Amino acid sequence: MERFVFFGGKGGVGKTTMSSAYGQKCARSGLETLVVSTDPAHSTADVFDQEFDDEPRSVEGIENLSVMEIDPDEELERHLMETKRAMGDQVSPAMVNEIDRQIEMAHQTPGAYEAALFDRFIDVMRDADPYERVVFDTSPTGGTLRLLSLPEFLEGWIDRLLHKRKQSIELYERAAIGNREPRRMMDGDPIIARLQERKEMFEFAKETLRDEAAFYLVVNPDELSIRETRRAIDSLADHGLSVRGLAVNKLTPEPDDDEDGRGARYLRDRVATERERLDELHETFDPPVVAEVETRVREVKGSLLAAVADELDVAV
Amino acid sequence: MDLAERIDHFRRVAEEWLRGLYHGMVSHPAYEKIEHEAEDQEDTFMLACFPDAFGIPSPVSYYTAELLPYLEDEFEAWERRMWNRGSLLERKGEQYHF
Repeated sequence: MERFVFFGGKGGVGKTTMSSAYGQKCARSGLETLVVSTDPAHSTADVFDQEFDDEPRSVEGIENLSVMEIDPDEELERHLMETKRAMGDQVSPAMVNEIDRQIEMAHQTPGAYEAALFDRFIDVMRDADPYERVVFDTSPTGGTLRLLSLPEFLEGWIDRLLHKRKQSIELYERAAIGNREPRRMMDGDPIIARLQERKEMFEFAKETLRDEAAFYLVVNPDELSIRETRRAIDSLADHGLSVRGLAVNKLTPEPDDDEDGRGARYLRDRVATERERLDELHETFDPPVVAEVETRVREVKGSLLAAVADELDVAV
Repeated sequence: MDLAERIDHFRRVAEEWLRGLYHGMVSHPAYEKIEHEAEDQEDTFMLACFPDAFGIPSPVSYYTAELLPYLEDEFEAWERRMWNRGSLLERKGEQYHF
């Protein structure tokens, strides 16, 4: 089994439940496990009835299990401060204001939040050494897919920037024939060094996602969820990532045969429709169904989590 | 001053003039041209890095912002060029000394 396991899916299908249950299952079988919540609306705290933050923290009462909730805002702030500090060291006071404005602006663009989240994401994968298994509880489908498609996209972009920078420096060097000092030099150019560093980071992310990660999608037995899952599988495939399995959650329990009240009839109807959806999932989807989990009356926590974990047929 | 010295002197002056003339007419405009081209390349680089300076959102401006502290001179020159440049024709025409 791969070291990094991702649970994704439409909003509200039970990704957190599934990833927490799987995390617990791994921890129980003796693997040092970390559950990472990347959804801005963190709910791992509710599942384990314990507060978590940006640093991994071990779960009380469960051995080998830690949880962290990624906070992109903190990362964004840190990045902003670091850039400003570098500016203080490098830039002459006359230009500080001009450049400061530009830096502030860059940290308020729509992509900044995602980039910060992505950076933390890569940090977690890089520093995963103490853990034998890292389970990612991702944000709803759209956000996750965008996040996972970032490395390739960004790598291409950085490549083009690097190429341009090198071209202009080459020309400057060529223009400085004779005794003249070229305006910029290739050796020790901080811009090229930085861009190179970023490029390597994206490469690392791409390779890790491709070689060391497994993806599972959580589905509910309803039309919308199934459609979104189909789309998600397609777009993940576009990025060269294949979905390992589907975890069906929130199935309606069947009433006893001798019951015939209104509630029982309702449940029976509901189960029949869900049966069709389930068949559709079994027959028309490539990834196998790895779990069929019934709706729980109460919130899934504590011992219920262990029960869900037992129903999850995902290798540890 | 004897003849040999005068000839020598004349040759030195002529050489200096010729070198200056060659530099002014051929090599200097060539350097300038290359340098201009380099500046143009740099402009494209800067624009690709900071399109949000012109209101165009960029997916990587978060990452390129960290380059800014090291791009002080370039940034200033770039902004000046971007705002001052009348037209591409003017900019390209500058390198020809009519």
